[in-house]
Amino acid sequence: MTAWRPLHRRSLAASAAMSTAIVVPVVAVLIRTLPHDWTVPARAGMIAGAAALIVAGVLVFDLLRLRTTAWRLTGERLELRSGIAFREHRSVPRDRIRSVDLTADPVRRVLGLTVVKIGTGEHASGERAMLTLDPLSRRDAEELRGVLLGEAGQEGRDVPPRDVPLAELDWSWLRLAPLTVWTVAGGALIAGLAYKPLDALGVDLFESGAAAELWRWVTTRPWPAIPLLLAVNVLVGLVGAVAVFATAWGRYRLEREPGGLRLSRGLLTTRSLTLEERRLRGVELVEPLLLRLGGGARVKAVAAGLRKKEENEADDVAMLTPPMPRAAAGRVAERIAGAPLPGPHHRTPPAPGSRTPPIPDPHVRSHARPDLRPHPRAARTRRLRATVMSTAFLSAAAAAATWSWSPPSPWNWAWTVPLLALPVTTWLAVDAARGLGHALGERHLVTRAGSVVRRTVALDRGGIVGWTVSESYFQRRLGLITVSATTAAGDGHYDVLDVGAQEGLGLAARAVPGLLGPFLGIPGPGDPGAGEPRAGEPGEGASPSEAPRAGAVRSGTPETGAPGSGARLTGLPDRPRTPPAGRPGP
Amino acid sequence: MLRPPRNRVDRRAVRVWTIELLFLTVPVAAGAVAAYWIFTSHPVWLGVLTGGFAVLILGLALAAPHAYRRLNRWEVTDEAVYTRTGWFTHVWRVAPMSRIQTVDTERGPVKRLFGLADVTVTTASSAGAIKIEALDHELAAELAERLTAMTQATPGDAT
Repeated sequence: MTAWRPLHRRSLAASAAMSTAIVVPVVAVLIRTLPHDWTVPARAGMIAGAAALIVAGVLVFDLLRLRTTAWRLTGERLELRSGIAFREHRSVPRDRIRSVDLTADPVRRVLGLTVVKIGTGEHASGERAMLTLDPLSRRDAEELRGVLLGEAGQEGRDVPPRDVPLAELDWSWLRLAPLTVWTVAGGALIAGLAYKPLDALGVDLFESGAAAELWRWVTTRPWPAIPLLLAVNVLVGLVGAVAVFATAWGRYRLEREPGGLRLSRGLLTTRSLTLEERRLRGVELVEPLLLRLGGGARVKAVAAGLRKKEENEADDVAMLTPPMPRAAAGRVAERIAGAPLPGPHHRTPPAPGSRTPPIPDPHVRSHARPDLRPHPRAARTRRLRATVMSTAFLSAAAAAATWSWSPPSPWNWAWTVPLLALPVTTWLAVDAARGLGHALGERHLVTRAGSVVRRTVALDRGGIVGWTVSESYFQRRLGLITVSATTAAGDGHYDVLDVGAQEGLGLAARAVPGLLGPFLGIPGPGDPGAGEPRAGEPGEGASPSEAPRAGAVRSGTPETGAPGSGARLTGLPDRPRTPPAGRPGP
Repeated sequence: MLRPPRNRVDRRAVRVWTIELLFLTVPVAAGAVAAYWIFTSHPVWLGVLTGGFAVLILGLALAAPHAYRRLNRWEVTDEAVYTRTGWFTHVWRVAPMSRIQTVDTERGPVKRLFGLADVTVTTASSAGAIKIEALDHELAAELAERLTAMTQATPGDAT
């Protein structure tokens, strides 16, 4: 496959079909704006001409694009030449390719075409991080995906996979779909979105008097009107949420393939995202407040080199499941992690009517899983204190503002707002503290935090590339620390918030043996230098390399705080580890 | 608790930081005093306030580097790079040798004048960079070389 290959020619048909999206509004605008004293044939001719011009323009552009774009796959690299005016040649080493994403909207699906987006894991924004082949035939796309992700053999799209899927859509999950803030925003949001296009077509909601009429009706009869409006708003939101869920997650399926996870979904526009397993560093259970109260959760991948979400995408790319019952989500998380996880496990039996296959699960050995360890009471104290302080501050600030500017009457009472919100914020604080927890799994470090969005992250201990331990002034007084594991994937760091100092350090030391252990010491706070590493600390295996060494390059200024370490100012290890006596190579 | 890393930053760092801070604070203080002199009708309370502010930030610029040097410590073992920083929030950072991806040395103009350099060690994590500040520049170069050699010895892409 070393010859340069073109994109698929049927793209022209797709573009022609897509151009109606421009033609229709233009025609609508023309019908309204053309002078009415023109004859009907003249107007019809004008409109037809404009439509033809647009379609022709789109076709010419697409033809040029097709003729100037070519791609090839060599043994080591994937290359793409593109650009009509500005030529561009991009070349990506094959081992850099992190994800292959196939998308087909309804038009392309009918034509048997697929847009292929190849994630390169560069830390670049938007298009730079991706190679887009728009479009290939479905068969070519599948083949390319297979080859790029090192899959043996080629799989047609409709061939049933060998494995039981990790997760599959259960339409009863639809009941969890409305549990988002968008439902509440509902009709207002849709009206706002519809305003612009309607305005372009010359329908002005405000000038046409409909809005004024509505306003008059609401103000004259507020009692029936306001609840009715709210109900309509929520109803529209409800329908919208369900529709969005159905189109985005219809035919949802998550399956394990050799070397990766494959997610396919979409009722109209089909998407298929492949995630390399060796980039996976863990899983995350996400529970936004409303969804959590409704007993649902979603599963997200913690993976390195995932592309950023695009503007027209509703969901994070790493999101592996739609909202689903919490127990089922816990099971999916465990299957993805491939090891039993403490915490996001299931105690409740599967939801009635759930078609997700139950326990016989080759991926996970089943044995008892402990729950997460709660964090000290001081963590709650800290949250409550912060809530009360911020409420007092906001109220005082509002009161002071009122006092100095004397605004019109309803604003006089602004200072009560934070006070009235106090029950809610207090509940959130207590809930957040209750949610804190951590545990060590067989292969994972599990940490949970958050109230408005509760996240339970199971991070692969092998994926931890360092530790950051921080202790703020307030934490110090309460004996708390925040231990965060840094990793190449996801957010870059995952925190165990407000854990007891000893417990947190012990956790970190046990999670990655030998890393933090050597630095654990006995001395009390604020006692610099008295610390000799103690081998018996929770971190098993304090390394023997901690013995005093004499590799000082220069003996600098004597230490004041650390007795006996004056000669070790540089503290450089004398001998590099693996290669004996090493200067760096050429 | 975590024991402090073994090494303090170079003594010359105090002078460097003082100079760097004075570059920032002297114009601010002078600006405040000048604004008071030019734009106001010299009320006494505002004069006291302005003077207090100027003295405070200049005093901070002189005192902070000493405290900063006392708090910032670092250590490099065969296994890991270990630092402590922070004033109100203490932060300890550990990166294992096997996960280090790049080692950079950096020398600002003032630091170059005093023969100092910073060494920044990054891992694959966007949150995992560790900076060892104000080392003697020869020591920094040696450290960077050593770290590079050690990280080259580990296979894989350190993610």
